[in-house]
Amino acid sequence: MEAQFLYSLITGIFIGGVAGYLSSLMITKRMALVGDCLGHVALPGVALALIYGFNVSLGAIPVLILGIVLIWLFEMRTKLPMEALTGVVFTTSVAIAFLFLPEEKVSAALIGDISQVGFWDTLFSVIFCIFTFLVLRKIFSKIILTNLSENLAKVEHIKVERYNFIFLACIAIVVALGVKVTGSLLMGALVITPAAAARNFASNLSQYSYGALLIGVISCVLGILLFKVFALPAGPFVILTASLIFLISLIFKKI
Amino acid sequence: MANPILKVENLNVELGREKVIEDLSFDLEEKEILVILGPNGAGKSVLLRTLLGLHQFQGEINWKKNIHIGYVPDDFDVPQDLPLSVKEFFQFKKVNLPEMLQALQWMGIRDSLKFLEKRMSILSRGQLRRVLIAWVLVDRPDIILLDEPMASIDIHGRQIIYDSLVKLWQKQNQTIILVSHEIGEVVKKANKILALNKKILFYGKPEEIITPQNLAKIYGGAISL
Repeated sequence: MEAQFLYSLITGIFIGGVAGYLSSLMITKRMALVGDCLGHVALPGVALALIYGFNVSLGAIPVLILGIVLIWLFEMRTKLPMEALTGVVFTTSVAIAFLFLPEEKVSAALIGDISQVGFWDTLFSVIFCIFTFLVLRKIFSKIILTNLSENLAKVEHIKVERYNFIFLACIAIVVALGVKVTGSLLMGALVITPAAAARNFASNLSQYSYGALLIGVISCVLGILLFKVFALPAGPFVILTASLIFLISLIFKKI
Repeated sequence: MANPILKVENLNVELGREKVIEDLSFDLEEKEILVILGPNGAGKSVLLRTLLGLHQFQGEINWKKNIHIGYVPDDFDVPQDLPLSVKEFFQFKKVNLPEMLQALQWMGIRDSLKFLEKRMSILSRGQLRRVLIAWVLVDRPDIILLDEPMASIDIHGRQIIYDSLVKLWQKQNQTIILVSHEIGEVVKKANKILALNKKILFYGKPEEIITPQNLAKIYGGAISL
């Protein structure tokens, strides 16, 4: 039982950290709601994983890849705004999931269930989190510069398309990891709220990104501790902790 | 002729279906200053971006081999919600502190240690432009391309940028291509002027180009210096 709790905590710390770090880039690139949508896109994969009893992140990844490729293809074909196409894909995905998601699994799929993670799940999450964090750290400045001026970035020999693709892949991985902790419905908050809060404390970029990382970790740790105390699902506690930190951060808001 | 750093021949650029640049040819030697003049919508910025490989084109653009190009775009802005400090912006280029301070000093920014900690988003437009030019200069490009560096900046700011650029030209013999839609002091420092309105209108030395008759032709009305 205690080992089980420790696994949950470790998984939460790593996923919260990398999601928080990612969130600073998501807000900068005005993509905050993309994480939310992708969380929903992942639902059929999460449902399958819950039914057949394998790691939900592994279930989420192929569905996310399919969803992203579809959005990308539709965009090339229709030239409609990306957000409209994302809307089409994510609602379709949710609708499909609810055709076969058993009622007793709905809660775990939508708001997460971190109480059952085992040793291998934890190891898998930790490895993926560290890997994704290192990739994000490597591309961080390039993504920011591209965001400031794409032309300037290109002249500085930054392969803009390549880095955007890597960034999108990182988002997909973090979402796939995050659905384990907070579920499909609440995943978006893990890649929005930490940076929104950190922004209010931060006076430079590293305070911003690492502050968001720290807030992601704190939210997950406190959320999982509250789950232990109250025996209610961890997902909502994690998100509410992040929201509370955001509210507190308003006091420190720097102009 | 000596070794040109840039040679452009029969350049044609279309954006959408509109011809933006027609049959343009010119060249540039090392340590020369080329000013590209012309009214708004003449294709000046497009020309600059085409030279940088950002637009498709027909014709030939030949840069000297392995040339290191610096570019100062006209649309650079830092959003309010991005807490990027000046120092962090320079760190994108993996340069060290003395190099940062030197580049800022070139652009007339003193007390730079304190300045480096400032947030980019709170700088005035003039300061931001100077920081950007310093950033472009910091890893010592062979040539810099500036797109309207003085645009939307107040007179005081313009003067500082202008003075800094002139000092830079004098000290470092930097090769420069500068786009401007107005004729100011800048023109007098140029080795060559390219007056553009889709096609080349005039190309040559400033004293040959900047005459009231020519200016009227470039800008379509009476204009004086």
